[in-house]
Amino acid sequence: MTDGGMLELWQDYHLTARTVEHLAMFSVALLLSMIIGFAVGVFLSRRRRFAGVSFAALNTLETFPDLALLVVLIPLLGIGAVPTIAACVLYSVLPIARNTYTGLTSVSAGHVNAAESIGLTEGEVLVHIRVPLALPMLAGGVRIAVVFTMGIVTLGGLVGAGGLGVPLQTGIFNNMPDLILLSGAWVGLLAVLFDGVAAVVERRLTRRYGQW
Amino acid sequence: MVALATVLAASLQHVALAYSALLVAVALSVPLAVLSLSSRTLASVVMTGANLAQAVPSLAIVAFVVPLLGIGFYPALIVLVLRALLPVVKNTWIGLSNVDPGIIDAAVGIGLTNREITWRIRFPLAYPAFFAGVRFAAILTNSVAVLTALIGSGGLGNLIFEGIAGTNTQTLLAGALPAILIAVLVDAGLAALERRVVYEGA
Repeated sequence: MTDGGMLELWQDYHLTARTVEHLAMFSVALLLSMIIGFAVGVFLSRRRRFAGVSFAALNTLETFPDLALLVVLIPLLGIGAVPTIAACVLYSVLPIARNTYTGLTSVSAGHVNAAESIGLTEGEVLVHIRVPLALPMLAGGVRIAVVFTMGIVTLGGLVGAGGLGVPLQTGIFNNMPDLILLSGAWVGLLAVLFDGVAAVVERRLTRRYGQW
Repeated sequence: MVALATVLAASLQHVALAYSALLVAVALSVPLAVLSLSSRTLASVVMTGANLAQAVPSLAIVAFVVPLLGIGFYPALIVLVLRALLPVVKNTWIGLSNVDPGIIDAAVGIGLTNREITWRIRFPLAYPAFFAGVRFAAILTNSVAVLTALIGSGGLGNLIFEGIAGTNTQTLLAGALPAILIAVLVDAGLAALERRVVYEGA
């Protein structure tokens, strides 16, 4: 097997186009998960009596096998990108929301009291005190979500969503080790890459806003 | 309708695959975590492996194993053990190594040996982290065991893939619902076990 062979495989199975599809679904899903996850986390940190039951529900959702969740969504949402993105979001909201909640609520009472005593409102305390101090926790949730989302988008190939799951599936069904290795390694590399990007963004943000 | 006997047989196969893999993973990861306590090199190798294993999508791991090990039940088992091993090792190691140094000093002070400290001080204090890892791994093996039907492991994944291929919702649900039920039950069982062990140990 030569590099030329791999390049040919790359072209024959349209891996550039598949990568674009893959990353489009990945970005939409991750963005939605972040919006919903942060919103749920912030809401629960301010209405803590709902936290127990909400996290119990989200935990149960997390025990569903990802492929099973994906196929259960098919009768509801049809096949393709929509159920794939929905499954990604359902899976990724929990780690983001739980980390947001834990991060925001574990800011020391001293910081919060000090901020309140100089007259900051509850909202200002959230934005200027709690969020900056909780940044590492928030980022931790997002990094877990990055990994989940990449994995589920890959599965989406099995239910007609396109993306890099398609060449992987072709390779498995037609017993083509080269194609499996090429697309598998590429998805793995993308996952590691985006996890790294998230880590760098976290460090930048923490250095800029997180330190006191 | 899918025959009940088919669903039961597939469920049994699924449980055998997913949870024997979990047991093997736990049996391997406890000694590995203890060894990582004494060797920094081993610890950093294991932790890097754990991060990588979580970053690579399950489907890619399932696919990787085909050229290397072929298809069938045992290659699937190896995929599952690898997938479950690293989160358990990582969490166990984090739990074991993050014990308050004051407690260790006190234990050394009353004359406990290193081995006694590991088993009687570190382990009880590491139970919450250990169980978090095992519960995560249990969910993971359950969901990857569905995927390994692609490489001929059998089990509930077969029904699910059959349902997807034939757009037959009933077959699909006959595979998906038991898988979900099994995951919820195992998670609840592990939570109950955790409560007992942690209260007794702490």
